Amino acid sequence: MSRTLEAPESVATGWIGASAPRLEDERLLRGLGRFVDDVELPGMLHMAVGRCPYPHARIAEVDVREAQEIPGVEAILLGDEVMRRTEPITVLRPLPDVPTVPFHAMAKDRALFEGQPVVSVVATDRYVAEDALGAIAVDYDPLPHVVDVESALQPDAPVLHPELGTNLLVANPRGKGDVDAAFARAEVVVGDRFTIGRVTGLPMEGRAVVARYTPGVRALDVWSSTQLPHLVRMQLAHSLRMPETTIRIMAYDVGGGFGLKLGLYPEEILACLHSMDLGRPVKWIEDRGEHFRSTTHGRQAVHRIELAADRDGRILGMRNTYLVDAGAYNSPFGPPMLSSLMFTGPYRVPDGSVERRVVLTNKTPVGAYRGYGQPESNLVREVLVDRVAREVGLDPVEIRRRNLLHPNDLPWKSVGGATYDSGDYPAALELALARIGYDEFRATQPSSKDDGRHVGIGVACFVEMTGYPGSAFLGKHRARYGAFESVTIRLNRAGGADLYTGVSPFGQGTETSFAQIAAHAIGIDPADVVVHAGDTVGTPYNTGSFASRTTIAGAGAIAAAAREIRGKAIRIAAHLLGVEPSRLEIADGVVRATGDPMVRLSLGEVATEAFFGHRLPEGEDPGIEATAYFDPPANTFGYGTAAAIVEVDPRTGEFRVERFVMAHDCGTRVNPKLVDGQLHGGLAQGFGAGFFEELVYDPDTGQLLNGTMVDYLMPTAADLPEFELEHLEVPSAVTAFGVRGVGEAGTIPPAAAVINAICDALWPLPVRISRLPVTAEAVWRAIEGAGGEAHAS
Amino acid sequence: MNVRVTVNGEAHERDVEPRRLLVDFLRHDLGLHGTHVGCEQGVCGMCTVLFDGEALKSCLMLAPQADGHEITTVESLAPGDDLHPLQEAFRQEHGLQCGYCTPAFLLAALAIERRRQRLEGEELRAELAGTLCRCTGYQHVVAAVERYFRERAEAAVP
Repeated sequence: MSRTLEAPESVATGWIGASAPRLEDERLLRGLGRFVDDVELPGMLHMAVGRCPYPHARIAEVDVREAQEIPGVEAILLGDEVMRRTEPITVLRPLPDVPTVPFHAMAKDRALFEGQPVVSVVATDRYVAEDALGAIAVDYDPLPHVVDVESALQPDAPVLHPELGTNLLVANPRGKGDVDAAFARAEVVVGDRFTIGRVTGLPMEGRAVVARYTPGVRALDVWSSTQLPHLVRMQLAHSLRMPETTIRIMAYDVGGGFGLKLGLYPEEILACLHSMDLGRPVKWIEDRGEHFRSTTHGRQAVHRIELAADRDGRILGMRNTYLVDAGAYNSPFGPPMLSSLMFTGPYRVPDGSVERRVVLTNKTPVGAYRGYGQPESNLVREVLVDRVAREVGLDPVEIRRRNLLHPNDLPWKSVGGATYDSGDYPAALELALARIGYDEFRATQPSSKDDGRHVGIGVACFVEMTGYPGSAFLGKHRARYGAFESVTIRLNRAGGADLYTGVSPFGQGTETSFAQIAAHAIGIDPADVVVHAGDTVGTPYNTGSFASRTTIAGAGAIAAAAREIRGKAIRIAAHLLGVEPSRLEIADGVVRATGDPMVRLSLGEVATEAFFGHRLPEGEDPGIEATAYFDPPANTFGYGTAAAIVEVDPRTGEFRVERFVMAHDCGTRVNPKLVDGQLHGGLAQGFGAGFFEELVYDPDTGQLLNGTMVDYLMPTAADLPEFELEHLEVPSAVTAFGVRGVGEAGTIPPAAAVINAICDALWPLPVRISRLPVTAEAVWRAIEGAGGEAHAS
Repeated sequence: MNVRVTVNGEAHERDVEPRRLLVDFLRHDLGLHGTHVGCEQGVCGMCTVLFDGEALKSCLMLAPQADGHEITTVESLAPGDDLHPLQEAFRQEHGLQCGYCTPAFLLAALAIERRRQRLEGEELRAELAGTLCRCTGYQHVVAAVERYFRERAEAAVP
């Protein structure tokens, strides 16, 4: 199956494009994953963290005397000491034009959200540590709070950070063209206010840390359930005021991330402090109650969006002003900007303006949950596009055909400031329509079924930004990370390769995809590639896995390292075989003469010669090893269309997704089966945030009302339809092998497609659904708002 | 309290605190790390084991309650180099991503098989709804279990 390539960058053949089973699976299927809670060390102690139960409170007194007397309790840390000994957590992606609000590992006098750490206890056993928490008396003095973004901007709202003088952290306007003129000449203007619920990514493994400080040796080994080992190392060194060389971060298996495990959290700092104080390893495993209250949330926003169009349904302009709820502090990634960049979607919109307003509330900080702003602005636009279509009397598909960017419009600079690289957006729409049978459905669509139910069809188009346009771009925006990825590849004496990457495995399958790319580019079998991942020891500096960027940046680095490996292996083999290097090629793990297969050496033999260094060409160094970095010159965009057929019962608002299709393009698919898995998972989360999930806060008490898995409903296997996928593969011109990112695509279009299908089912009743999640109650209320069920027949 | 249990065919006897959760006992006293913890409330199913052959969430039971019973965990499925056919079906169908929920799905599927049921489609989805997964969207999990049941049925036909 393996083939030799002229150059590693050439279009996909060989191992790229193979649905190879994953290398990670063998250990995970046997229960031999190496998750943080599986780390058991001699003398290990266990930490439990006491948290503020109020959304906002002064901490008057913490009485730890009784807890200290409990046998097995080894240490207790309070806020004043933690604040004295540590620096705030480094913000990796600062907001433009504002100072960062310092977030320390523990609150000292005042806690600003339910779940903020107030005390930590270390004991011989987790049960004892929790007993001790129960024995600690914290005297809280509750303070006025605000948990709603719009209320937080009222003049009488309590201000979270008095030094800012306001809860409006920053307003970021963007735009292009003359949007007022566009609206002035529009024949149709449609607008609405949308509220999008706060959700959590809810990985099955919560956060977790084991810290082991060895006194004298001054080595701090940290096992962390993180997506960013190298960046966490940088952040931890800063917060602990330690040289980075002292710190090693290990993330060997991570039980899901989805953006929630991007960067340092307070508990890593606390576990390290305790371990350094006691000279013993300290483990902390987040429980689910803590997870709901202290791990970053996502999505929550209020959008006010308007579309201007002419009578033919041509979109002339778009405005969107939205509030994003940041929570009480800026988490390492903080609230999303992608809602702005991508707000006009895949359409030819010449004039537009968008403004993000970041608002502080007394809630858990928001972070980069999968999609990171893209699902939100895509939803509000796609729902409004349907309303414009109804207004001008066009089919929702026809209006999209009239406005989608065509291949020859690309590259296109959107009014939000993104440059879409390439693709065939109309082809993705048509592919989805063909698969779902749009025309056939329309031809036979009943106004209602015999049982009173209605059935409708809806579509939603999207563009997904994947990766970053280079490290220099991120530097201009004061980010504390780069856009590159890196690998070290070593040819080994068995004729295979060891590949070292800082990307930690959390389900995305990079061990397999990196092995496939390396195998493809070198000319060996992926089964002979061993990937060593997620350990800051032995891996080159990298950024980490997020922003649908790992394969984009990683493929470039692997291609460059593989080129060096091949070059050197061929030079050494040529020397040993006594032939010209230009006569040699590598395939199936063998260096051989083109057209003369008898003249050959296995890569294992070549690597062995390089290992001994006894018979190398003049001037050639021993070893066959290469480290390469790749900094993408631009970002590349995935795109596609979702289509849904949905049945609605107008009497109750209940709805059922009968079919769901997604057509998309992520460029060259390194492993098509893994691409499907990424899409399924993203879609499931899109369905979750769309129809099931919402973190509900009581406005009076400011309390999270559903912070358990019993009350917070994420989809089960029984709640989701069969996802039908269609693929386009337009190679990206700006990446190695033409790959585009795919990690977040599934989260973006499903809610809008289903909402549009619900509204279509009920048409001509002008039902407006302007919130997420869409529950049966929300649909029922929307029906009532439009005149009631009696009119829906 | 003294607890005697048979885990994966091997007898164990330990002194534990009465409040020790069965899952903590399996993981941290017996060192069987393949059984995971996700919510400690009996919702997510990460801690699923077979308890006298039935699927059970081991975070909802105390270790002393397991006294005299037989428990099966994921570690027993493939003692040698070859994967169990169910594990192989998961591998072929890409039925796992981060792998944290995988042991639970394997045992849940085996519990269905022990009841001599060969489910598919919506019936199977309903039966697997006691275990959550945030990565896969379940489609490949369902496909893997269906594949396993199909292959077992085919193997049973001479």
